[in-house]
Amino acid sequence: MVYGRDCDVCDGDTQCEHCSVEFTLDVRCEGDSTLDVTTFDLQTSDETVEPADVAAARKAMEEDEKLLKGILIVKLRKNQEVKLRCLARKGIGKDHAKWNPAATAVFQFEPEIIINQQLMETLTEEQKQEWIDSSPTKVFDIDRATRQVQVVNAEAYAYDEEVIKKAEAMGFPGLVTISAREDSFIFTVEATGALKPETIVLNALDVLRMKLDGVRNGLTMALMEDPQMMNYQMNGG
Amino acid sequence: MTNAPDRYERFVLPEGVSKVTRIKDTRITNAATFEVQREDHTLGNLIRMQLHRDPEVLFAGYKAPHPLEYKINFKVQARDTTNPETVFRRAIDAVDTEIADLRKAFTEELARPRDQGNFY
Repeated sequence: MVYGRDCDVCDGDTQCEHCSVEFTLDVRCEGDSTLDVTTFDLQTSDETVEPADVAAARKAMEEDEKLLKGILIVKLRKNQEVKLRCLARKGIGKDHAKWNPAATAVFQFEPEIIINQQLMETLTEEQKQEWIDSSPTKVFDIDRATRQVQVVNAEAYAYDEEVIKKAEAMGFPGLVTISAREDSFIFTVEATGALKPETIVLNALDVLRMKLDGVRNGLTMALMEDPQMMNYQMNGG
Repeated sequence: MTNAPDRYERFVLPEGVSKVTRIKDTRITNAATFEVQREDHTLGNLIRMQLHRDPEVLFAGYKAPHPLEYKINFKVQARDTTNPETVFRRAIDAVDTEIADLRKAFTEELARPRDQGNFY
């Protein structure tokens, strides 16, 4: 499928099968009770394209899970009917947010948490627990076997420094040192459901390379047109 | 009723407009401005940071001159052992290679069976 503006067949009309997929809805309520018209009632013109929740439901059925309900479009009473035609087009999030497949994309530095175990051993069991509980997120816990305080989830640390303040307030400064590793990131991508997060990341990398390619080609062209490019060639660019 | 520019103006290169234009700096030696059409901070910051890693680059900066002018300007000054065009191209190639490597590593990691996937 191509972007509507790149479509040569319909000349930017974005109505042909190369740059759009047609969905039709044709439902009539015959029974006495209200009929829920959902995304499951949409008929696609292209078997490879379907609403994201329909795809999810099919997958769930294959895995023999409970049948999911589609997203409600309209409710019909007896003898009411709905008939409509929808066009699905491809686009990018920069054009309109409706095409953005990512809900959140964030990175954080990986925290490096070092507990001063020697100092930690001078604390009582209650003090240890009190200190662990001072962290708003669950970063530390007591190891059941060794009774030592350990980092259970470094990623959960929100750089709030609550545990450092708590250690100082308890009279144990230097109990823990936390620094951000600047050469290691934790990148979190949350998808909206239209695409898988890993697909979004791979697409993003491909788009970046495409953009770089565009600039590289543009640079070559700009220098070719330029009579002053002799010195550029001689330096082997 | 509004005079807002079309949304696609931001990323579609109009016909007859070249993607990159080089403007030689007349006052500073071995320096040039590269005007890149229809790109933004996504590429601007990426290329600038790579230029800063190059020991043959004396100065490198970029700016998006105006929110409604869909272009970015790079200002590059190179050492006299080379020229701005060479270092600019080298930076693009380096970023490209880095992304290619990252993509390869990412694909390999995806192929590996997941040990903890209980995020959701």
